[in-house]
Amino acid sequence: MTDTPLPGTRPNTQDSSTPEQRRIRRLRRQRAMNTFEAAVMIVIIVLVLFPIGWMVATAFKSPAVVYQYTMWFEPTLENFRNIFSERWNIGKNILNSSIVAISVVIIATPLAVGAAYAFSRLMFPLKRTMFQWILLTQFIPAVAIVLPFYVMFRTLNLLDTYFALIIVNLSGVLPYAIWTIKGFIDAIPIEAEEAARIDGAGRFRVIWDIVVPMAWPGIMTAAIFCLILTWNEFLFGYLLTRQHAVPLPVGLISFVLERGTVWELVAATGIIITIPMFFFAMIIQRHFTKGMNLGAVR
Amino acid sequence: MSQRRLAFFLLAPALLLVAFTTIYPLIVSLWTSFHDYNLTRSLNMGPWIGVENYTEAFKYDPDFWKVMLVTATFVILDVGLTMLVALGLAVLLLRQGFGKTFLRTILILPFAMSPALIGISWRFMLNPDFGGFARTIGAILPFMRDVDYFANPYLAMGALVSSDVWHWSPYFCFMLMGGLASIPPETQEAARIDGASAWRVFRDVTLPQLKPVLVVAIILKSVFALKVFDAIVTMTSGGPGRETTTLGYFAYQIGFRDYQFGYAAALAYILTAIMFVLSLSYMRVAFRNAP
Repeated sequence: MTDTPLPGTRPNTQDSSTPEQRRIRRLRRQRAMNTFEAAVMIVIIVLVLFPIGWMVATAFKSPAVVYQYTMWFEPTLENFRNIFSERWNIGKNILNSSIVAISVVIIATPLAVGAAYAFSRLMFPLKRTMFQWILLTQFIPAVAIVLPFYVMFRTLNLLDTYFALIIVNLSGVLPYAIWTIKGFIDAIPIEAEEAARIDGAGRFRVIWDIVVPMAWPGIMTAAIFCLILTWNEFLFGYLLTRQHAVPLPVGLISFVLERGTVWELVAATGIIITIPMFFFAMIIQRHFTKGMNLGAVR
Repeated sequence: MSQRRLAFFLLAPALLLVAFTTIYPLIVSLWTSFHDYNLTRSLNMGPWIGVENYTEAFKYDPDFWKVMLVTATFVILDVGLTMLVALGLAVLLLRQGFGKTFLRTILILPFAMSPALIGISWRFMLNPDFGGFARTIGAILPFMRDVDYFANPYLAMGALVSSDVWHWSPYFCFMLMGGLASIPPETQEAARIDGASAWRVFRDVTLPQLKPVLVVAIILKSVFALKVFDAIVTMTSGGPGRETTTLGYFAYQIGFRDYQFGYAAALAYILTAIMFVLSLSYMRVAFRNAP
């Protein structure tokens, strides 16, 4: 980027070029590369931000402007007032999603820490097999799980309850949490634990005082991932709830009416679904790659 | 306390929960798939009919093979494109330069978004009258004006694939960045000094060393692609016809729209079997060099 144009040099494809000419050619190619790279980056940024920006704009458009192809309009909060009104009552969906997501995180994280510690530090029979089977359960399609649960919850009169949603959501996030946290515990030097053990600390003391603080970034990463996955979860909510426990993403469906979809309300709800998750994702951004790769690739 | 007892104590709650929430329903599903179970006729499971639900799928249901073809098309397009985009992004992000931190930050956004929301947004964006994508495409390519994307099989598939690529590319980009960063730079440097072009260095030096990570990413993405459901519901509903009905969505329709639980369980199990084979190969690769 810093080099200046070099007039009077011609690209030379013969091999008779002097080192000076070759240097110039390389610089020119580099400049072309940099321009190309900048162009590609702009395209990517547009592709990432355009759908999000369009949604944000739509959420602040008045219904008349929604059906126009424009970014120029007078912003209004009418749509947000509308979705919180008695008719749509999106506040109830927010409450449902929060209760389910927070419960899942509160249950899954401590269980995962315990299991991850055992898999990382202790010796016991069938350890490797058990660990692989836990990972395998991540790959079971949700359709195969939801059918028996539907029948079971119907029999037990638990359809459309928080309990049902919490249980099925745990099936998806718990193996993931164990996997992630184990990766972080593996990375803690064992000497720190041994020193404390020699000083007479019991295992649980060691876990609480040494392992948990040192693996904290990993625990946070796992917890936030679980939160995002549960919050955005759609299939279980779609099939196991009717009106009382409907989570936020499923609430989007209620704007699809016979006379058409009320897009401005979809967009406003979309913003409410997305903003907290953006915030949480930003928190764990630094650990994003680390958390994923520790378990996946070693 | 002995290590074994401690391990048992620490593991039992998590293992019990995993067993109850996945292994138990999986066994019930298998059991159901061998029975005649139609909710429209009776609330209770009917008689044992052996593998009839499976022969129904493979032999008699003309929709089944159509759905399998759609599933294969979707997985191949989706995985291929996601990997290409993710690899391109990873290479781009690892180069020094202006704007990389910003790009890395905004790449988190698609991943944090709910797939159901992405699906419904795509339907909005592709509305020929007022959709942001459709109108922009129409302005650049006039023959695409007023095209109903979700009435055309290829365009509907394209829309579905593009939404999933948009959602997943960042995740796999970060994963591949980890892989690329762990390649010792000396090897690439040596090739460059020997006069290899940038493309040759990438193809013959970088890519072979990235292969283990890439294989894991491809298998993982295939599994995710087979699981896609939310965006199908909110964007295409499997249409037009069955053109975007993947196996998972088909099993859902049979089970929760037609209430044929026995047949739906069999279909879900065929999907589970496919995923199981993929997952086992994933395990073999991922654990090859593990302690």
